Amino acid sequence: MIEQAMATILFYGFAAAAVVLALAVTISRNLLRAAVCLMGVLSIQAAFYILLAADFLAGVQVLVYVGGIVVVIAFVVTLTRSSQLLMDHPSPLRMLLAIAVAAGFAGVSIAALWMSALHQPGMAHSTMDSTRAIGLALLDTGGSGYVLPFEVISVLLLAAMIGGIGIARKTPPPDQPFTSGGDRSGEADAALPKSQRPSRDRRAPQ
Amino acid sequence: MIQYLASHGPGLIHWLILSNVLFAIGIYGLLSRRNAIGILMAVELMLNSAAMNAVVFNRFLAPKSVDGEILALFVIAVAAAEAVVGLAIFVALFRDRSSIDVNRMDSMKG
Repeated sequence: MIEQAMATILFYGFAAAAVVLALAVTISRNLLRAAVCLMGVLSIQAAFYILLAADFLAGVQVLVYVGGIVVVIAFVVTLTRSSQLLMDHPSPLRMLLAIAVAAGFAGVSIAALWMSALHQPGMAHSTMDSTRAIGLALLDTGGSGYVLPFEVISVLLLAAMIGGIGIARKTPPPDQPFTSGGDRSGEADAALPKSQRPSRDRRAPQ
Repeated sequence: MIQYLASHGPGLIHWLILSNVLFAIGIYGLLSRRNAIGILMAVELMLNSAAMNAVVFNRFLAPKSVDGEILALFVIAVAAAEAVVGLAIFVALFRDRSSIDVNRMDSMKG
């Protein structure tokens, strides 16, 4: 009884906090502040997973999103100087259109949900150990197992890692492609004042 | 009071409305931001609310299985890969033209 009452209070409290923080993510002019708010939203999402009795997923959410993605986003915000530029205010027309699309989506889908037959009152109480079940299902080679997508996702993560390194690394000078000489000459040039640095522009002057 | 709260716990539809609202906020951010990183953050919001939908349906409609949770796990993994590649592209773009304003990204040729 008291546990269910607590769950109700926690759900509505977390829901309100999540909506406010999500609005802050989309509205905040300072992108670094938006990244911090995103961290809050994702942590609250982990709390939702715990309320839904998905403990393992909550842990993964905190490890991957809060500890990984948001940190990388914060790094890129500072690397691209986006938090200082503050050029991110939308024009009124654009804002109005965005509000119209978002409100239209929310209105239509919530109306459809409300008229649907999905009024299931409560969560089924499960004492199942979902972490154990997830582990078994991920390594199950049978018809209902997930071992193939599990392996495919590891290849995808490897490809994304290589792609990220390949895209973001400094481009080598034109005479020695596919070497790390570009990085090294860049570091050496950084000691010189800006006007004396040799041009490392890959595009030939027209 | 406690009795009222215990009998008015969140049902399936309340969870779905919550994730719908979060998704709509993500759509707003996606359409109103001009900075590419802001757009990526809005996409992360939307991915998250969609993954939560999978877990909610799993818990309410098929409590014996964990298929929805595994789907959410894969969504998280793909979101991580997408964020890494997207942010690498933003860094490369910023190095090339000193701005990641999506309004000015109208040509693929440097």
